[in-house]
Amino acid sequence: MFRLNLKIALRNLWRNRGITSINVGGLAIALAAFILVILYFTYETSFDKTNPNYNNIYVVGRIEPDFKTNYTSPPFAKAIKQHLPEVENAGITKRGFFEFSMKNGKNTLFAKNFMQADYNAAKILDLKPTGGLEKPPGNVERLSYLSKENMRALFPDKTDNKPEIVGMGASNSGITSKINGSITNNLHSNITFDGISIGNEIGKGENYGYNNYTTYIQVKPGTDVANLEQKITDLYRKELLKGETDQKTIAEIKGVSTFLDPLANLHLRPKAGNDAPYKILIALSILGILILVIACINFTNLSIAQATKRAKEVGIKKVMGAYRFQLTAQFLVEIFIQCFVATILGLTLAELSLPYFNNLFQVNLSIWTTENDLCWQLPLILCVITLIAGTYPALVLSGFKPALVLKGNFSTSKQSSWLRNGLLVFQFSIAVIFIIGLFIINSQLKYMRSEDLGFTANQVVYIKNISMFNKPETFAPVRDKILKIPGIKSATVATDIPDGAEGGANGYTFEGVKSSLDFIDVDFDYFETLDIKLKEGRFFSKSFPADTTNGAVVNESTVAKYGMKNPVGKTIRGCNIDYKIVGVVKDFKAQGFESAVKPTIYSIKNPCGNYKTQIMVKIEGNKMSSALAALKAQWLQINPKDGEDFRYEFLDDLYGKLFKKQEQLQSVFFGAALLTIFIAVLGLFAFAKYITNGRIKEIAVRKILGASDIQIFSLINSSFFIMVLIANVISWPLAYVITKRWLETFAYRIDLPILPFISSALITILLTVITVSIQARKAVKANPVDALKYE
Amino acid sequence: MIQLTNIEKYYANKGVKNYVLRLVTTTINQGEFVSIMGPSGAGKSTLLNIIGMLEEPTYGIYNFLGEDVTNLNERKRIELYRNHIGFVFQAYHLIDEMTVYENIEAPLLYKKVGSAERASRIADLLDRFNMVAKKDLFPNQLSGGQQQLVGIARALAAQPSIILADEPTGNLQSAQAEEIMSLFKKLNEEEGITIIQVTHSEKNAQYGSRILHIADGLIKEDMAVVA
Repeated sequence: MFRLNLKIALRNLWRNRGITSINVGGLAIALAAFILVILYFTYETSFDKTNPNYNNIYVVGRIEPDFKTNYTSPPFAKAIKQHLPEVENAGITKRGFFEFSMKNGKNTLFAKNFMQADYNAAKILDLKPTGGLEKPPGNVERLSYLSKENMRALFPDKTDNKPEIVGMGASNSGITSKINGSITNNLHSNITFDGISIGNEIGKGENYGYNNYTTYIQVKPGTDVANLEQKITDLYRKELLKGETDQKTIAEIKGVSTFLDPLANLHLRPKAGNDAPYKILIALSILGILILVIACINFTNLSIAQATKRAKEVGIKKVMGAYRFQLTAQFLVEIFIQCFVATILGLTLAELSLPYFNNLFQVNLSIWTTENDLCWQLPLILCVITLIAGTYPALVLSGFKPALVLKGNFSTSKQSSWLRNGLLVFQFSIAVIFIIGLFIINSQLKYMRSEDLGFTANQVVYIKNISMFNKPETFAPVRDKILKIPGIKSATVATDIPDGAEGGANGYTFEGVKSSLDFIDVDFDYFETLDIKLKEGRFFSKSFPADTTNGAVVNESTVAKYGMKNPVGKTIRGCNIDYKIVGVVKDFKAQGFESAVKPTIYSIKNPCGNYKTQIMVKIEGNKMSSALAALKAQWLQINPKDGEDFRYEFLDDLYGKLFKKQEQLQSVFFGAALLTIFIAVLGLFAFAKYITNGRIKEIAVRKILGASDIQIFSLINSSFFIMVLIANVISWPLAYVITKRWLETFAYRIDLPILPFISSALITILLTVITVSIQARKAVKANPVDALKYE
Repeated sequence: MIQLTNIEKYYANKGVKNYVLRLVTTTINQGEFVSIMGPSGAGKSTLLNIIGMLEEPTYGIYNFLGEDVTNLNERKRIELYRNHIGFVFQAYHLIDEMTVYENIEAPLLYKKVGSAERASRIADLLDRFNMVAKKDLFPNQLSGGQQQLVGIARALAAQPSIILADEPTGNLQSAQAEEIMSLFKKLNEEEGITIIQVTHSEKNAQYGSRILHIADGLIKEDMAVVA
């Protein structure tokens, strides 16, 4: 029985191989997309899952009145461990804040993040140095490890795990350091590093003001976390209040609290930070499911469309003594076979597109590993799609009444047409939303690329450097030497470069009004290098020596914030300095397009500021390569403290990274739009084929009555035309709301254009007409006699 | 074998009852060869469908083999199909995706007949109908008459006690039609299979033993065929 049914199924599929391949192909493409999405989903949601205490580890963060942060101070962890019995262990880590080089002979390594951790944190975070985690013995302060990859880069021939001595910084610095071994740097973890040094205690002597550390705690299983959170807040306030007498400070401390953020949340939606990755992941998952559902709908649609062909078989089998469930099972098996083939194809497609996907999302996923759970997910998906795609057709087909079917002239088109039309409208609605979305993302990105930023990143080279140039006099000789190189127009140093980085913030008083301003500490030629436009007053200038002690330049937003009138020459006070405003610059989008330009003050002297280490030089375009070569060759003489390691990046590349997320979104939408259109058109193609086949007699009669080919084309097209129009009308408001919300995430954005809505309608209608007409052509060209002969 | 008592069938349309069958009462015994005749729209096919339990009467009682089958559940009905009833259709209704052999085999599979038994029965049928050479062909490779032969072979495969045939020769040329009718007559006479056929042709009706004339849903005449 089964074998016979299988044979029938295969013969049937072969006879309708056109529709079968459309069916299976559409499903396979959707499955490929879905497989990629679940791979990505599994990867993104399983960070640190290998940690044996995954569910009991929390980060302790602080809630200040106007921000949340994961940065806490060293004594806090100790206090928590000491006072709270439900905390099993508590430890701290500190990120490496600047990049430095490590050397072994000719091998050089740049460590961006050489982390520090105390032994407790290393234990909590399950860090695994080769040979196991060791507690540093009493006389050794730290044990330092390099990640395995870095160890191999520095010591390519090393086979043992013995300690090594490496040079730190420039080769003329003479500083060496001991590396005790290698350590696994798990990229699938929140804690990644180039190297790490583990001490029994780090941050010794630093008090509650040094909020540069991350505190991890491991609680006992079954701990009431909300309660613990409250206890930790109480403890934190108690610790801060120790010895405090100033009423104002005491009141401020009462406004501070703490939170516990589970390790599981850290990667996607940390409490202190944004949950955009989480939202993107959810959106992507919905997208994947949607595409799969649409493909399943297609499948259902096509299976029902073919019902007439199978109806006779059902009727006959029933009068020969087949139970309905036998027929249902037969159809389900048929659909299962197709889904199975689609899954294999989908897997192949996913494998082929994986490199592109990995590149887009900056991950390294692979289908052929056991840890990605595909081995149980795929069979499950197969069963689910078989049920989604197959249940309805199987029930419809097996439910045919033999008396009706066997009389002949049986047609299902009327019965389920509303359903099939509805499904088609749904598919096109989704496609339209993606087309509109794609157009609008494109316009916004185009706007972001072409809009005047207020500064010119082009031809500005950012030089990585670790020496500090807080005083203009220390940078002056460096600048002089740099400017001697032909092609270099200007050079400056600042605390931050305009690549989206957030500067520091401090309180400033202007005419009695105190407010918080972002500050950036700069050197001469900062504005000139970046080609920032002056609004009034002047830039910093060497001819005004006072600029180096109390000169300040503010931007337009600052003027607006304080409501300054004629600010040039007036005083603004901050960090115990009375700054004289010498100039106002036009706002420039240092932070990208998503947030509005922040009110910012630029000064040369700022004791409360950060280190000026970021060197920028402006180079003439046609002398770029020679100037860079000269800089590289002379760097040791130009900036001896930084050593021979000249490293640079182009500022426009760095700024361009701010668009990365949106470009990702653009690619996703491009893929999704293509996929949904493709699948919808596939569905339409087969549907149109079915409809025209069903109307061959009608068309023949009409032709005999004198209808022209054009009239018949428009007759067949009209119903599809209306459906696509309905789909457009349905999706316009949806797309409007979605794209508007997306655009609202930008401080600088385009007005919502109308054109995408119109073009999406044109595209879908055009595709529909072409698809349907290809199908209709056969019926129109056929000789009416042939169609009317058989009755 | 078949007892119909006051069978009525109507379709209600906007409150108006359109009668297809009215107060049909008749008995058909084992071994009879009945032809149902009448003009188009008289209710012949509906009557045959009711006898074949493909449709249910609106009113009346139907006894099949001494059992009331007026409102039978699917399972019981299918049991009857498997063991007692064979259908033959005007349009043959062979399954296009199956070969001649497989078409004949299908009812046996549903009846769960063992494979050796299946093979011998099919071989026997193919032999009897001279179709051995054509067993691996698909229906669209056969002529109409040959297709109908396969249809009959399929109906006979399950060894039914009754064959219901709805205009079995309606699509055939007269020579082929005669062949089919002689076959029916032979089956009826030699194997005692009850046959009920719907036909337009007076000539075909003469092969049977009894003719029911139907007009406007009523049995107008019930006469025996005089050989």
